Amino acid sequence: FVPEPRLQYVPVKGDRVIGIVTVKAGDVFKVDVGGSEQASLSYLAFEGATKRNRPNVQVGDLIYGQFLVANKDMEPEMVCIDSNGRSNGMGIIGQDGFLIKVSLGLIRKLLAPKCEIIQDLSQLYPFELVLGMNGRIWVKAKTVQQTLIIVNILESCEYMTAEQRKQALAKLSGN
Amino acid sequence: LSARPVGERLCSVEEATAGSGTYTRHGFIFSSLAGCLEKRSEDSGLPIVSVVRDTESQLLPNVGAVVTCKVCSINSRFAKVHILYVGSTPLKSTFRGTIRREDIRATEKDKVEVYKSFRPGDIVLAKVISLGDAQSNYLLSTAENELGVVVAHSEAGAQMVPISWCEMQCPQTHSKDFRKVARVQPQFLQT
Repeated sequence: FVPEPRLQYVPVKGDRVIGIVTVKAGDVFKVDVGGSEQASLSYLAFEGATKRNRPNVQVGDLIYGQFLVANKDMEPEMVCIDSNGRSNGMGIIGQDGFLIKVSLGLIRKLLAPKCEIIQDLSQLYPFELVLGMNGRIWVKAKTVQQTLIIVNILESCEYMTAEQRKQALAKLSGN
Repeated sequence: LSARPVGERLCSVEEATAGSGTYTRHGFIFSSLAGCLEKRSEDSGLPIVSVVRDTESQLLPNVGAVVTCKVCSINSRFAKVHILYVGSTPLKSTFRGTIRREDIRATEKDKVEVYKSFRPGDIVLAKVISLGDAQSNYLLSTAENELGVVVAHSEAGAQMVPISWCEMQCPQTHSKDFRKVARVQPQFLQT
Protein backbone atom coordinates (compact mmCIF):
# COMPACT_ATOMS: atom_id res chain seq x y z
CA PHE A 1 0.00 0.00 0.00
CA VAL A 2 1.49 3.31 -1.05
CA PRO A 3 -0.12 6.40 0.51
CA GLU A 4 -0.93 8.96 -2.16
CA PRO A 5 -0.83 12.59 -1.04
CA ARG A 6 -2.75 14.52 -3.67
CA LEU A 7 -1.40 17.96 -2.92
CA GLN A 8 1.95 18.36 -1.20
CA TYR A 9 4.95 16.35 -2.35
CA VAL A 10 7.03 14.66 0.37
CA PRO A 11 10.64 13.86 -0.64
CA VAL A 12 11.40 10.14 -0.72
CA LYS A 13 14.86 8.64 -1.16
CA GLY A 14 15.37 7.44 -4.73
CA ASP A 15 12.56 9.51 -6.26
CA ARG A 16 13.44 11.34 -9.47
CA VAL A 17 12.14 14.89 -9.45
CA ILE A 18 12.35 18.12 -11.43
CA GLY A 19 13.73 20.95 -9.33
CA ILE A 20 14.28 24.66 -9.91
CA VAL A 21 17.60 26.15 -8.78
CA THR A 22 16.93 29.06 -6.41
CA VAL A 23 20.26 29.82 -4.73
CA LYS A 24 23.82 29.32 -5.93
CA ALA A 25 26.05 29.56 -2.86
CA GLY A 26 29.63 28.51 -3.50
CA ASP A 27 29.75 24.73 -3.56
CA VAL A 28 26.09 23.98 -2.98
CA PHE A 29 22.91 24.83 -4.86
CA LYS A 30 19.51 25.12 -3.24
CA VAL A 31 16.79 23.53 -5.35
CA ASP A 32 13.05 24.00 -4.96
CA VAL A 33 11.37 20.59 -5.34
CA GLY A 34 7.90 21.49 -4.15
CA GLY A 35 8.39 20.04 -0.67
CA SER A 36 8.43 21.75 2.71
CA GLU A 37 12.19 22.35 2.47
CA GLN A 38 14.49 23.14 -0.39
CA ALA A 39 16.89 20.37 -1.34
CA SER A 40 20.64 20.85 -1.44
CA LEU A 41 22.63 19.84 -4.53
CA SER A 42 26.41 19.74 -4.53
CA TYR A 43 28.25 20.93 -7.65
CA LEU A 44 30.21 17.64 -7.62
CA ALA A 45 27.04 15.57 -7.99
CA PHE A 46 27.05 15.76 -11.79
CA GLU A 47 28.63 13.36 -14.25
CA GLY A 48 32.22 14.31 -14.97
CA ALA A 49 32.26 17.15 -12.45
CA THR A 50 35.51 17.93 -10.65
CA LYS A 51 36.69 20.90 -8.65
CA ARG A 52 38.20 22.36 -11.83
CA ASN A 53 35.42 21.29 -14.17
CA ARG A 54 32.27 22.75 -12.64
CA PRO A 55 28.82 22.27 -14.18
CA ASN A 56 27.23 25.36 -15.72
CA VAL A 57 24.24 25.78 -13.43
CA GLN A 58 22.47 29.14 -13.08
CA VAL A 59 19.67 30.30 -10.81
CA GLY A 60 16.38 29.43 -12.49
CA ASP A 61 17.68 26.34 -14.29
CA LEU A 62 15.67 23.12 -14.26
CA ILE A 63 17.37 20.07 -12.79
CA TYR A 64 16.29 16.44 -13.12
CA GLY A 65 17.82 14.51 -10.23
CA GLN A 66 17.13 11.94 -7.54
CA PHE A 67 17.16 12.13 -3.77
CA LEU A 68 20.17 10.77 -1.94
CA VAL A 69 18.93 11.66 1.54
CA ALA A 70 15.26 12.31 2.27
CA ASN A 71 13.78 11.92 5.73
CA LYS A 72 11.66 14.01 8.05
CA ASP A 73 14.57 15.04 10.29
CA MET A 74 17.07 16.44 7.78
CA GLU A 75 17.22 18.70 4.78
CA PRO A 76 16.86 16.61 1.58
CA GLU A 77 19.93 16.13 -0.60
CA MET A 78 19.73 15.70 -4.36
CA VAL A 79 22.23 14.29 -6.84
CA CYS A 80 22.32 14.06 -10.63
CA ILE A 81 24.36 10.85 -10.82
CA ASP A 82 23.48 7.31 -9.88
CA SER A 83 25.50 5.00 -7.63
CA ASN A 84 27.90 4.17 -10.49
CA GLY A 85 28.69 7.79 -11.23
CA ARG A 86 26.76 7.90 -14.52
CA SER A 87 24.18 10.59 -15.17
CA ASN A 88 21.61 8.08 -16.49
CA GLY A 89 19.30 10.71 -17.96
CA MET A 90 19.63 13.15 -15.05
CA GLY A 91 21.19 16.60 -15.07
CA ILE A 92 20.31 20.10 -16.25
CA ILE A 93 17.23 20.23 -18.47
CA GLY A 94 17.94 22.16 -21.66
CA GLN A 95 16.60 25.44 -22.94
CA ASP A 96 13.02 26.03 -24.13
CA GLY A 97 10.24 23.66 -23.33
CA PHE A 98 7.43 24.20 -20.87
CA LEU A 99 7.12 23.21 -17.19
CA ILE A 100 3.71 22.43 -15.68
CA LYS A 101 2.49 21.24 -12.31
CA VAL A 102 -0.01 18.37 -12.12
CA SER A 103 -1.32 16.17 -9.32
CA LEU A 104 0.86 13.35 -7.99
CA GLY A 105 -1.75 10.77 -8.97
CA LEU A 106 -1.50 11.74 -12.64
CA ILE A 107 2.28 11.37 -12.56
CA ARG A 108 1.99 7.84 -11.26
CA LYS A 109 -0.52 7.05 -14.00
CA LEU A 110 1.84 8.46 -16.64
CA LEU A 111 4.79 6.51 -15.26
CA ALA A 112 2.97 3.17 -15.49
CA PRO A 113 4.35 0.93 -18.25
CA LYS A 114 2.54 1.26 -21.62
CA CYS A 115 0.62 4.35 -20.51
CA GLU A 116 -2.17 5.04 -23.01
CA ILE A 117 -1.98 8.82 -22.68
CA ILE A 118 1.68 8.90 -23.71
CA GLN A 119 1.10 6.46 -26.57
CA ASP A 120 -1.80 8.53 -27.93
CA LEU A 121 0.16 11.76 -27.64
CA SER A 122 3.17 10.33 -29.43
CA GLN A 123 0.94 9.55 -32.41
CA LEU A 124 0.16 13.26 -32.58
CA TYR A 125 3.56 15.04 -32.63
CA PRO A 126 7.08 14.01 -31.65
CA PHE A 127 8.07 15.61 -28.32
CA GLU A 128 10.45 15.34 -25.37
CA LEU A 129 8.96 14.64 -21.98
CA VAL A 130 10.44 14.64 -18.46
CA LEU A 131 8.24 13.48 -15.57
CA GLY A 132 9.13 14.45 -12.00
CA MET A 133 7.65 12.51 -9.07
CA ASN A 134 7.01 15.86 -7.39
CA GLY A 135 4.18 16.57 -9.83
CA ARG A 136 6.21 18.54 -12.40
CA ILE A 137 6.23 17.76 -16.12
CA TRP A 138 8.55 19.33 -18.70
CA VAL A 139 7.49 19.16 -22.35
CA LYS A 140 9.30 20.27 -25.48
CA ALA A 141 7.99 19.82 -29.04
CA LYS A 142 9.20 21.21 -32.37
CA THR A 143 7.14 24.43 -32.27
CA VAL A 144 5.73 26.47 -29.41
CA GLN A 145 2.18 25.79 -30.60
CA GLN A 146 2.69 22.02 -30.53
CA THR A 147 4.24 22.29 -27.06
CA LEU A 148 1.26 24.21 -25.75
CA ILE A 149 -1.21 21.74 -27.27
CA ILE A 150 0.53 18.83 -25.54
CA VAL A 151 0.66 20.75 -22.27
CA ASN A 152 -3.07 21.44 -22.41
CA ILE A 153 -3.86 17.80 -23.14
CA LEU A 154 -1.69 16.62 -20.22
CA GLU A 155 -3.27 19.07 -17.81
CA SER A 156 -6.79 18.12 -18.81
CA CYS A 157 -6.01 14.38 -18.64
CA GLU A 158 -6.72 14.55 -14.93
CA TYR A 159 -10.38 15.19 -15.56
CA MET A 160 -11.03 13.68 -18.97
CA THR A 161 -12.06 10.10 -19.50
CA ALA A 162 -10.29 7.98 -22.11
CA GLU A 163 -13.05 8.54 -24.70
CA GLN A 164 -13.00 12.32 -24.26
CA ARG A 165 -9.24 12.28 -24.68
CA LYS A 166 -9.39 10.23 -27.86
CA GLN A 167 -12.06 12.59 -29.24
CA ALA A 168 -9.89 15.64 -28.48
CA LEU A 169 -6.82 14.03 -30.08
CA ALA A 170 -8.80 12.98 -33.16
CA LYS A 171 -9.99 16.57 -33.58
CA LEU A 172 -6.43 17.84 -33.32
CA SER A 173 -4.89 15.35 -35.72
CA GLY A 174 -7.76 16.08 -38.11
CA ASN A 175 -6.61 19.71 -38.18
CA LEU B 1 21.32 42.28 53.43
CA SER B 2 21.24 45.40 51.33
CA ALA B 3 21.87 45.53 47.61
CA ARG B 4 25.35 46.73 46.73
CA PRO B 5 26.53 48.11 43.42
CA VAL B 6 29.58 46.80 41.62
CA GLY B 7 32.91 48.23 42.69
CA GLU B 8 31.82 49.48 46.06
CA ARG B 9 34.50 49.39 48.66
CA LEU B 10 33.37 47.01 51.36
CA CYS B 11 36.03 47.09 54.04
CA SER B 12 39.75 46.81 54.61
CA VAL B 13 41.77 43.62 54.47
CA GLU B 14 42.44 43.74 58.20
CA GLU B 15 38.76 43.47 59.07
CA ALA B 16 37.76 40.54 56.88
CA THR B 17 38.88 38.07 54.22
CA ALA B 18 37.70 38.32 50.63
CA GLY B 19 35.17 35.68 49.63
CA SER B 20 33.36 34.99 46.38
CA GLY B 21 32.17 37.98 44.38
CA THR B 22 34.88 40.25 45.78
CA TYR B 23 38.47 41.22 45.07
CA THR B 24 41.24 42.96 47.00
CA ARG B 25 43.07 46.04 45.76
CA HIS B 26 45.32 48.46 47.63
CA GLY B 27 44.53 46.83 50.97
CA PHE B 28 40.77 47.05 50.64
CA ILE B 29 38.05 44.62 49.62
CA PHE B 30 35.80 45.65 46.73
CA SER B 31 32.78 43.89 45.35
CA SER B 32 32.89 42.59 41.81
CA LEU B 33 29.24 41.64 41.55
CA ALA B 34 26.01 43.58 41.97
CA GLY B 35 24.18 41.82 44.76
CA CYS B 36 23.78 41.41 48.53
CA LEU B 37 26.60 41.60 51.04
CA GLU B 38 27.12 38.46 53.07
CA LYS B 39 29.36 38.32 56.10
CA ARG B 40 30.15 34.87 57.43
CA SER B 41 32.11 34.57 60.66
CA GLU B 42 34.76 31.88 60.84
CA ASP B 43 35.88 30.45 64.15
CA SER B 44 39.51 30.60 63.10
CA GLY B 45 40.61 34.00 61.79
CA LEU B 46 38.66 36.81 60.22
CA PRO B 47 35.09 36.74 58.98
CA ILE B 48 34.60 36.11 55.26
CA VAL B 49 32.89 38.82 53.24
CA SER B 50 31.20 37.78 49.99
CA VAL B 51 28.66 39.24 47.58
CA VAL B 52 25.92 36.99 46.27
CA ARG B 53 23.48 37.70 43.46
CA ASP B 54 19.78 37.57 44.21
CA THR B 55 19.32 34.53 42.03
CA GLU B 56 21.39 31.47 42.65
CA SER B 57 24.50 31.26 40.56
CA GLN B 58 24.21 29.15 37.45
CA LEU B 59 26.39 26.08 37.27
CA LEU B 60 28.44 26.30 34.09
CA PRO B 61 29.71 23.23 32.25
CA ASN B 62 33.48 22.96 32.34
CA VAL B 63 35.72 21.25 29.84
CA GLY B 64 35.57 17.54 30.61
CA ALA B 65 32.20 17.63 32.35
CA VAL B 66 29.61 15.00 31.42
CA VAL B 67 26.35 16.68 30.47
CA THR B 68 22.87 15.41 29.64
CA CYS B 69 21.38 17.02 26.56
CA LYS B 70 18.45 16.74 24.18
CA VAL B 71 18.96 16.70 20.42
CA CYS B 72 17.01 19.51 18.76
CA SER B 73 18.11 19.26 15.13
CA ILE B 74 20.44 17.20 12.97
CA ASN B 75 22.40 17.92 9.84
CA SER B 76 24.67 15.77 7.75
CA ARG B 77 27.67 17.42 9.45
CA PHE B 78 26.63 17.88 13.09
CA ALA B 79 23.83 17.64 15.63
CA LYS B 80 22.58 20.62 17.63
CA VAL B 81 21.57 19.93 21.23
CA HIS B 82 20.15 21.70 24.27
CA ILE B 83 22.19 21.04 27.43
CA LEU B 84 19.75 20.22 30.22
CA TYR B 85 21.83 18.81 33.11
CA VAL B 86 25.46 19.26 34.13
CA GLY B 87 26.38 16.10 36.00
CA SER B 88 23.27 15.59 38.10
CA THR B 89 22.27 19.26 38.57
CA PRO B 90 19.49 20.56 36.30
CA LEU B 91 20.11 23.90 34.62
CA LYS B 92 17.55 26.68 34.89
CA SER B 93 18.14 27.86 31.35
CA THR B 94 19.43 25.48 28.72
CA PHE B 95 22.70 26.05 26.95
CA ARG B 96 23.20 25.10 23.34
CA GLY B 97 25.77 22.55 22.25
CA THR B 98 27.05 21.05 19.02
CA ILE B 99 28.19 17.47 18.44
CA ARG B 100 30.26 17.34 15.25
CA ARG B 101 30.13 14.32 13.01
CA GLU B 102 33.76 13.39 13.77
CA ASP B 103 33.16 13.57 17.52
CA ILE B 104 30.28 11.08 17.62
CA ARG B 105 32.42 7.95 17.62
CA ALA B 106 36.01 7.16 18.53
CA THR B 107 36.54 4.61 15.72
CA GLU B 108 35.74 4.82 11.97
CA LYS B 109 35.03 8.54 12.17
CA ASP B 110 34.60 9.00 8.41
CA LYS B 111 31.92 6.29 8.11
CA VAL B 112 29.67 7.93 10.70
CA GLU B 113 26.21 9.01 9.60
CA VAL B 114 24.56 11.52 11.92
CA TYR B 115 21.13 10.21 10.92
CA LYS B 116 22.12 6.74 12.16
CA SER B 117 23.50 8.05 15.47
CA PHE B 118 21.02 10.65 16.72
CA ARG B 119 17.52 11.85 15.95
CA PRO B 120 15.71 14.98 17.15
CA GLY B 121 14.21 14.33 20.57
CA ASP B 122 16.85 11.87 21.80
CA ILE B 123 18.40 12.30 25.25
CA VAL B 124 22.17 12.02 24.97
CA LEU B 125 25.05 11.84 27.47
CA ALA B 126 28.02 13.82 26.15
CA LYS B 127 31.27 15.30 27.34
CA VAL B 128 32.25 18.94 26.91
CA ILE B 129 35.41 19.26 24.84
CA SER B 130 35.42 23.02 24.30
CA LEU B 131 33.61 26.07 25.58
CA GLY B 132 33.50 27.61 22.11
CA ASP B 133 33.85 31.28 21.14
CA ALA B 134 31.56 34.10 22.22
CA GLN B 135 28.88 33.31 19.65
CA SER B 136 29.28 29.60 19.12
CA ASN B 137 27.90 26.81 21.26
CA TYR B 138 29.64 24.35 23.53
CA LEU B 139 31.42 21.63 21.58
CA LEU B 140 30.48 18.19 22.84
CA SER B 141 31.68 14.69 22.13
CA THR B 142 30.19 11.22 22.51
CA ALA B 143 33.34 9.36 21.52
CA GLU B 144 33.34 6.96 24.47
CA ASN B 145 31.47 3.79 25.34
CA GLU B 146 29.66 5.40 28.25
CA LEU B 147 28.46 8.34 26.14
CA GLY B 148 25.67 8.45 23.57
CA VAL B 149 21.92 8.02 23.39
CA VAL B 150 20.22 6.93 26.63
CA VAL B 151 16.55 7.60 25.86
CA ALA B 152 15.06 7.49 22.39
CA HIS B 153 11.53 7.14 21.07
CA SER B 154 10.51 5.19 18.00
CA GLU B 155 8.24 6.44 15.22
CA ALA B 156 5.36 4.70 16.99
CA GLY B 157 6.02 6.80 20.10
CA ALA B 158 7.24 4.06 22.44
CA GLN B 159 10.54 4.28 24.32
CA MET B 160 13.08 2.06 22.58
CA VAL B 161 15.20 -0.62 24.22
CA PRO B 162 18.93 -0.84 23.37
CA ILE B 163 20.05 -4.05 21.70
CA SER B 164 23.69 -3.28 20.90
CA TRP B 165 25.94 -0.24 20.84
CA CYS B 166 24.48 0.81 17.51
CA GLU B 167 20.88 -0.41 17.52
CA MET B 168 17.70 0.14 19.51
CA GLN B 169 14.40 -1.70 19.18
CA CYS B 170 10.83 -0.52 19.70
CA PRO B 171 8.98 -2.86 22.10
CA GLN B 172 5.62 -2.33 20.34
CA THR B 173 6.45 -2.64 16.66
CA HIS B 174 9.76 -4.55 17.07
CA SER B 175 11.31 -2.31 14.44
CA LYS B 176 15.02 -1.57 14.84
CA ASP B 177 16.54 1.86 14.59
CA PHE B 178 20.15 2.93 14.45
CA ARG B 179 21.51 5.05 17.28
CA LYS B 180 24.89 5.52 18.98
CA VAL B 181 23.84 3.91 22.27
CA ALA B 182 25.53 4.72 25.60
CA ARG B 183 26.69 1.84 27.79
CA VAL B 184 25.41 3.15 31.09
CA GLN B 185 27.14 1.80 34.22
CA PRO B 186 24.91 -0.79 35.98
CA GLN B 187 24.78 1.21 39.22
CA PHE B 188 23.05 4.10 37.44
CA LEU B 189 20.33 1.97 35.91
CA GLN B 190 16.95 1.85 37.62
CA THR B 191 14.66 -1.11 37.03
